[in-house]
Amino acid sequence: MAQTKIYLDDAIPSPAMKVWRVFASKPQALAGLWGVGMLLLLTLVGHYLAPFAAEFQDPDALLLPPSWNSNGTVEHFLGTDDLGRDIFSRLLYGVQLTFGTAVAIVSSALVVGVIIGSISGMMSGLKSSILGHLLDALLSIPSLLMAILVVAVTGPGLSNVFWAVGISLTPQFVRAIHQTVHEELQKEYVTAARLDGANALQIFWYVIMPNVWETVIIQTTLAVSAAILDIAALGFLNLGAQAPQPEWGTMVLQGLDSFLTAPWTVTIPGLAILLSVLSVNLVGDGLRSALTPMRN
Amino acid sequence: MANYLIRRLNLFIATSLLLIGILFYATHLFPVDLGYALSGIQYPTDAQEAQIIEDYRLDKGSVRQFLAYTGERLSGNLGVSVTSKRPISEELLLALPASFELAFVAGLIALVFGVPLGVIAALTHHSALKKFIMAGTLTGYSIPVFWLGLTLALWFGVKLGWLPISGQINLLYEIRPVTGFMLLDTLLSDSPYRIAAFRDALLHIILPAVTLAVLPFTVVVRITRAAMVNVMGQTYIRAAEARGLPYSKIVLRHALPNALIPLLKHIGLMLGPFASYAIVVEVIFSWPGIGSWLVSGIYQRDYTVIQSGILAVALLIVFSSILIEVLYTLANPLSRKEFYGSN
Repeated sequence: MAQTKIYLDDAIPSPAMKVWRVFASKPQALAGLWGVGMLLLLTLVGHYLAPFAAEFQDPDALLLPPSWNSNGTVEHFLGTDDLGRDIFSRLLYGVQLTFGTAVAIVSSALVVGVIIGSISGMMSGLKSSILGHLLDALLSIPSLLMAILVVAVTGPGLSNVFWAVGISLTPQFVRAIHQTVHEELQKEYVTAARLDGANALQIFWYVIMPNVWETVIIQTTLAVSAAILDIAALGFLNLGAQAPQPEWGTMVLQGLDSFLTAPWTVTIPGLAILLSVLSVNLVGDGLRSALTPMRN
Repeated sequence: MANYLIRRLNLFIATSLLLIGILFYATHLFPVDLGYALSGIQYPTDAQEAQIIEDYRLDKGSVRQFLAYTGERLSGNLGVSVTSKRPISEELLLALPASFELAFVAGLIALVFGVPLGVIAALTHHSALKKFIMAGTLTGYSIPVFWLGLTLALWFGVKLGWLPISGQINLLYEIRPVTGFMLLDTLLSDSPYRIAAFRDALLHIILPAVTLAVLPFTVVVRITRAAMVNVMGQTYIRAAEARGLPYSKIVLRHALPNALIPLLKHIGLMLGPFASYAIVVEVIFSWPGIGSWLVSGIYQRDYTVIQSGILAVALLIVFSSILIEVLYTLANPLSRKEFYGSN
């Protein structure tokens, strides 16, 4: 066999490769990644996979238990609710409303947060502190209170959830990015780049930003799980998505009427929320433990 | 140090003013008449209307209006509730202690169980136990609180029938509010059934407090564990070991106090989500606190309730997070390094 490798020492992996190796060495992190991947896929194609329409009511199958129960049928895999709607189909439709909205909110908050946070982090003195602390007052209003305020102004609905959760998430991004940029700015490698004649924009993009992305990534996973929980909680309080919409928190609220006779109408949407948040958190946890040793 | 305290005080005042500004702005956006949104009186008589315009300077420019609004709110005039027609400040004073009671008991549960479990997770060499604790906390962190509350209520309240699932105390007991904390009030009351009432109040608080405690508990366990692992690797622990101190003494006297400092900081960061969770828990268990009061306020479009509830909760959170930050600085000499150097 031809010796193709002349040097016996291993190729040095790139930083991204290193992170991936640490990340992939944890089975629970990989499981979380699969979960998040599935959720993203279902956000796009969930509609086509659902056996029934979200609002389709089957009058012959009211409060049908899940299929593993002796009274259940395979047709309605996870049972039906009190109006005869197929819970499995509604869950599939709901991925877009709960998970999809969460991702959309977090991406918008991320863009705004990165812009404000990096501008205020790069500046110094009073200007920076005004910009950096401008949104701190919003940070102290919990997301639910923010939602109540937004609903009081505009009335309930999923679009208001977008504003409410978005407004309460943005200051977190601003603060995290502001602090990281500010900390990195004090370090000596930045001074070295400045002595080399780099201007502020170059310092920001080529010198500091590569070290800020880690914070951004970790903050994003935290924000996605918080956003899912907030959207569901608002749906449950009837302040977010409204009644016929198959948002998971709203489904729990609708199942509440038949909770005692048909607990699966509450348990199954709740489990769906739990599993999605759990998979996001597993990914976040894995990323954090993979990124932290690199930073130190 | 004085300089630092003044800076924190300034921050508190600035943030509070900003908060009031946000609420002032939102009040103008409410889809009702401004005077109604400010005072809660839907159909005022001429005298009342003149009083509202006088109080809130509605005939002046927006800066004067804002100053008048700030003055009225801070002096305790929060308007009257649209639904009950009673002054908001009265209702607020009734609802606040109940919320404090719930939050206090939940926080206590979280700390009493969370800190030891975090220490165990950090020190144990039993890898299955460690994994079990970490997996458990991650799951607890991911549970939607309303679902957890409903499930606990179904199992322990309905199926097993062990615990009551609604309210603060059985309505048969007539307890005169003294402090507003039901657990204290039952003990302070002079009725012959006060021990029974105390037991009843205790049973009522278990389910909501446990539900609310899950989030802080998981955070406490994880932070304590991380801080403890960090501290146990420090050189002064090795020095203590070299001096031959017993292991329990090293952990309790040398490691744990230092591990609790980062915990303090994270408690401050956790206040916002904790308040959100508390609102949901109060709604589920019909706890007569500020959360359920606020949510019923929004269902009934009671604009004065919404404003003052948000103002009260947000101000409390700002105040406590700044207080915790000051405590953190007092407890942690390393964080004081900055202003020793600069001043």
